[in-house]
Amino acid sequence: MKKIKFLFFLAFFAVLFIGCQDNEDDFPTSEKPTLALGSTEIYGAPSRKFEIKAALADDLGLKSVRIQIPELSLDKVIAFGTEPLVTAYDLSYFFEIPADRGTSEAFKIKLTLTDVSNNSVDQDINLRLDGEFTPPAVAMDTPKEGAVILLPSSNIMKVKFMVNDDSGIDFVHVTCTALLIDDLVEVNGAQSYTFDKEYILPRTDASYVLTITTKDKFVQPNTGTTEINVIASNDYPAIYLCDQPKGTNLTTDAVGVPMYFHDKNGQDFEFKYYADKDNKEIYFLGQEGDFAPHCFGADGTNLAYGSSVAPIKLPTKGYYKIKMNPKALTFSFEKYTPTSKVWADIANGQWHDDEALRRPFVSVCGGGIKDASWDTWNGWVQTGLHLANNPNNPYQLVGEYTLTGTMEATFTGQWWNPSWRLIKNGIATMSPGENGNAKYPAAPGVYKVIVDTELERAFITKK
Amino acid sequence: MKYKFIWLFIAVLCSSAAFAQITVKGSVKDKTALPIPGANIIVKGSGVSASTDFDGKYTIVVPNKDAQLLFSFMGFTTKTITVADRTTIDVVLEQAGQSLEEVVVVGYGTMKKKDVTTSISSVKGKDLQTMTVGNATESLQGKVSGVQVTGQGGPGAQPRVLIRGISTLNLSTDPLYVVDGVPMGNSINFLSNNEIESMDVLKDASASAIYGSRASNGVILITTKRGKIGKPKFNIDLSNGFQMMDNPYNMADGETYANIMSTAGHSDYFPNTGQYRYRGQTTDWWGAGMRKASPVRNASIGVTGGSEKNTYAASLNYYKSDSFYGVGGWERITARIANDFKFSDKVSVGITLNPRFETWGSPGNWADFDKIDPLTPIYKPADQLNGTENEYSIYARSPSYVWNPVAAVARYDDYTDQYNLNTNAYLQYEPIKGLVLRTQGSIEVGDKTQSIFKPDFIIDAAHEKEEINSVQRKNTTNHDWTWQTTATYTKTFAQKHNMSLMVGATMEEYNGNDVWGYGEGVPNNSDLMRELKAATKNRSSDGNSWSSSLLSYLSRLSYNYDGKYYLTGSFRRDGSSKFMADNKWANFPAASASWRISNESFMENTKDVINNLSLKAGWGKVGNQGLPDAVYQSNIGQGYYVIGGEVVNTSFPSSMANRDIKWETVEDVNFGLDFGLFRNKISGTIEYYEKTTKDMLFLKQFPTSSGFPENARMWTNVGSMKSNGIDLILSYKDKKGAFSYGADFTFTTVNVEMISLSADGEKLYGSDSRTLTVEGDVPGYFYGYVADGLFQNQTELNSHTDEHGTKLQDKAQEGDIRFKDLDGDGKLTDNDRTKIGSPWADYTMGLNFNFAYKGFDLIANFYSSIGNDIVNQNISDLYNAASLTNKVAGLQDMAWHGEGTSNYVPRLSRNDDNQNYIKFSSLYVEDGSFVRMKNLQIGYTFLNQFGLDKLRLSLSGQNLWTWTNYTGVDPEVAGGDANKGDRVKGAGFGGWNYPVQPTILIGLNVGF
Repeated sequence: MKKIKFLFFLAFFAVLFIGCQDNEDDFPTSEKPTLALGSTEIYGAPSRKFEIKAALADDLGLKSVRIQIPELSLDKVIAFGTEPLVTAYDLSYFFEIPADRGTSEAFKIKLTLTDVSNNSVDQDINLRLDGEFTPPAVAMDTPKEGAVILLPSSNIMKVKFMVNDDSGIDFVHVTCTALLIDDLVEVNGAQSYTFDKEYILPRTDASYVLTITTKDKFVQPNTGTTEINVIASNDYPAIYLCDQPKGTNLTTDAVGVPMYFHDKNGQDFEFKYYADKDNKEIYFLGQEGDFAPHCFGADGTNLAYGSSVAPIKLPTKGYYKIKMNPKALTFSFEKYTPTSKVWADIANGQWHDDEALRRPFVSVCGGGIKDASWDTWNGWVQTGLHLANNPNNPYQLVGEYTLTGTMEATFTGQWWNPSWRLIKNGIATMSPGENGNAKYPAAPGVYKVIVDTELERAFITKK
Repeated sequence: MKYKFIWLFIAVLCSSAAFAQITVKGSVKDKTALPIPGANIIVKGSGVSASTDFDGKYTIVVPNKDAQLLFSFMGFTTKTITVADRTTIDVVLEQAGQSLEEVVVVGYGTMKKKDVTTSISSVKGKDLQTMTVGNATESLQGKVSGVQVTGQGGPGAQPRVLIRGISTLNLSTDPLYVVDGVPMGNSINFLSNNEIESMDVLKDASASAIYGSRASNGVILITTKRGKIGKPKFNIDLSNGFQMMDNPYNMADGETYANIMSTAGHSDYFPNTGQYRYRGQTTDWWGAGMRKASPVRNASIGVTGGSEKNTYAASLNYYKSDSFYGVGGWERITARIANDFKFSDKVSVGITLNPRFETWGSPGNWADFDKIDPLTPIYKPADQLNGTENEYSIYARSPSYVWNPVAAVARYDDYTDQYNLNTNAYLQYEPIKGLVLRTQGSIEVGDKTQSIFKPDFIIDAAHEKEEINSVQRKNTTNHDWTWQTTATYTKTFAQKHNMSLMVGATMEEYNGNDVWGYGEGVPNNSDLMRELKAATKNRSSDGNSWSSSLLSYLSRLSYNYDGKYYLTGSFRRDGSSKFMADNKWANFPAASASWRISNESFMENTKDVINNLSLKAGWGKVGNQGLPDAVYQSNIGQGYYVIGGEVVNTSFPSSMANRDIKWETVEDVNFGLDFGLFRNKISGTIEYYEKTTKDMLFLKQFPTSSGFPENARMWTNVGSMKSNGIDLILSYKDKKGAFSYGADFTFTTVNVEMISLSADGEKLYGSDSRTLTVEGDVPGYFYGYVADGLFQNQTELNSHTDEHGTKLQDKAQEGDIRFKDLDGDGKLTDNDRTKIGSPWADYTMGLNFNFAYKGFDLIANFYSSIGNDIVNQNISDLYNAASLTNKVAGLQDMAWHGEGTSNYVPRLSRNDDNQNYIKFSSLYVEDGSFVRMKNLQIGYTFLNQFGLDKLRLSLSGQNLWTWTNYTGVDPEVAGGDANKGDRVKGAGFGGWNYPVQPTILIGLNVGF
């Protein structure tokens, strides 16, 4: 009898226990959810993301939406929370087509929407890879980015560029708010168009931003915008020293080429420069990115202007102070012996908590540089970032870095002592110096690094 | 025959003195008529003694009929018998009231174990001496409940000892060691096992509060051996053996290494073809630099004896443990000479001299022998040598950037010598019965010299060189003194009221200074030139001195009624030089009570079963003042800044004194039950404790608005933590005929939790932000990302996105780790880190067996830690192919190399773009539980043979077996870097730590 009583109570409490358990999945029956697609046909392209848009809704609550493209290895489930229940959701899901897919391929995207009552609905979307997604290409003839228009010579700004697009050009729109420019050209589907027009500039120093907007005629139109910065000036705002032969692409370096001036008084510019060999040839440029339009060279002992000028030759290897005036067309140079501190034997540096046992080394802290961080200890342990003395110039620290994108840097020893912060215009200011690390866009790759402690400049050029 | 001759010769020499002597023979047995071998028989007042053989028989010569013989044996009641006219005396010894009559040291006094109301565990010296270890606390492991000992391998390493877990976050967790009444700091490396008579561990605050401000981590009281009445007894103890060091990892050979690197994409070094050409080219780095067995030696010779007026004990102890590099190690020579004089029934004095010498130093780069690539030869090929290199420059450089470890060991010259002398003396006077006045003084002087020489060498001009040699020497001296005076009055009123009152005062002062010199450009690297005076360049020096002192008043009142109801109260008032006027003094009270139920009349009928049953409870407050000596000072820092283009040596305010700083206080309650069953065949103690730490000491940063630099810190009292747990010790012992056996089981749990920090929601990071301490959880838990297996295919990669398709790990590839987005924000950020493990064990256990049959004895000790996690930092070194260091053999198969091949070891990659190893994740966290056989010893004892009282031979193995799932070097992993304040916050990080090594020893013990 006792046994029966025991079994009864055991069964009773077992039922009670099971009955009291919280079963979260237990929702009442409800209507099927609704799935409204943004489009039943989507264009994509290899190596490009496309967007899946849909409006999802359920009277009780959504449980999950599953997105599947088996051929492209996509099987994504987005689960919705239950506290509170989600009754409506705007799906916006991006997915990148693998690069190895062909533009003629097409796939089905399967969407499965399930609500908390486990009702499901499916819908398919057609995905085509023959989409075109690049806006019309703009090739600037003039003005170039960063161009300087010398107002005493001319106050006309000639704007000329070519536009191309395989699917046809819808329109070209040129605007500049400061100059009240607002030119809209309807191209009506032509695959190529040339814009050529001149504008009159006020004779006052100013900077302008020229905005060029283009749109193509593809099913899903593509729009692109290009901005050109132009400086109109009665004087040269800056002069650069270029030691590269004419025709060299001056935009492949990360920083330092051509070299920004050291001092300026009116239109008297002064540079400090290290000629690494006898008869070093240099030019002066009125802009950073190109030899044109303002290029200065030598005409005997005078400064010459024009695209065909001869270079100035620095007779012997060594440090120079160079002065020039682009308006008076004068220049002069003198060799000098630096007196700044020589950071010798940095390759034999030693990190040590005890200052007495410390020996200086120079590495780098920063971003966009492989293996670098903003920790000086990391700078020490990453020996690949250590700079070495240039055996031919005690004021130059040299090395090789791999840049991964836009870079910023401070060349430094233990705990920022010593350190040279890379600020704007390629200036490597020695601590305490100026604040604010500048960011320099750079194409990924291996670069040669020269830090000239006498010039307080950094030169980081593609290897 | 030879022995007979010797005895005959001695007998002739002594014949003139032997005329009136009587030779007494007999046997000593227990109640069951079993002989007791090794029992002591002493002629009272004469110093003449003998001991029984295996059959319990003895022979002793007494001067006359009035002589009294004392028969004694451990665990039995001593019996005194007058010889009278007998020449044969057979004695039956009765078992004592077991351990309850044993005396326990309680701090500034002793008590019978049965009278103790607090939590104290005791271990006899003979139980510690079963192991040959450098630090005596290592042999404490598993023998005492509530004490967690984590071994640290390496000559001279100091084990981590935690008594009932941790009670501090930023200060030392080591207990206070008190040797013969003198506080000796937080280490007993200087003490030989052979010098120890007993160790008593004060675990709860009601026991340790008598040591006040230094007792929060518990107190270990060590009593050294003193003289005993009787003829001189010599004891020689020798053990010799070797420690074994097998490579913990099976590293790749040359061909496998090249394959791994090639697979990982190091195509510039290892193109993806033809790795077979490396076949047979492996350099056996481990074999070249590591000794598979390194010797360990222990020798001790001692003598004890004396009369009723004067007893003495002297010992000379030697210990040496070689490092497994073949150079360096640890060597210790200590002597202890103790003399006690009893001038009258009222006056006694004693003095102990303890001179010591230690020398240590060994390389620490054993990891490099595994990490260096196996294709680099040890020496440069002949065609790379030009004959001008010095002896340290002939070694080859590895492209792995690991410095040639054989060369590093050859260059090693960093040794420390330490000399100490401790003098400890007392005077005791008993003017009236029951009143004992005692004053004791101790002076400790020490001198430590560290000498370092770094020779110049050029193995690689860019990466591995020291262009100029350097020499440095640091000398530290200390002189400390303590003086303590107590008065103890013991009285029994009306036969049932037993009372004891102790009052006293102590003074302690600790002084030290150091001086350091450094120089470069020693003319050559010869041994004779390694002196500062020989340095020709860049000489510099430094030096400092420090001092701290403590003045204390203490008292303890003990009362019991009829051996049933016990009350004990203690009070200590400490004044420390470390704190400023407002908080210089602090009080540490404690109270405890016990009820000895087994002495109640209603328990009379249960005596045959329950011979001891006692309930106890205690409360107390203790402190921790273990912070630097001069925290009450504002400090000036030094640094270099560029001013006007020149680097200038500058000074700046680096920290400010906190006038309100005070002691870290631990308040503790303890409840316990002592029991003994079946005439103490089964005995044990179970205790529950709860500790609360208040006013915890933190080194906090100033607000930057204060103008102090960012690294300026100030000690301040904030936060609290709590811990609780259970201690259990269970013992069983019995004897069947000549076979005796016993077992002890210890069990300890510790649960610790932070109650509050300096601000709500504060997060205290430790160990490079890999641990976190927050309110409501254990301190210093492992904090990182959750590694959710590996991406097995492209579909898994594509689905690891946010709700808009943005990849959470945009650089991940198949075979990389999938990290969990715990906060569900669609990004993998620092906020997705969580608790991924705890360094604190759920419980620790010890199991100790002993068996004896006639002359044979066998001891086995096991220790276990269960439930703790360990960060295996070596995973990156062994599996991450981003560097050119060597990897484990078979890694190319272990690592992911296709769907389903691994869900643990990521694919081989030279870039680790997914940060598989850079992100601190659960990949590194492993179960750190282990069971270790600490000691297995078998011995055979000859009694009264070969002309000796005792001869024991033993063979023992220490740390022979370890069962664990931890894949790192050794599961005994202790605290973090105390110098970084990471002792607690950095606990549980295993890496290339010097392992606790298996050791085989043979021992010889001779007594005569």
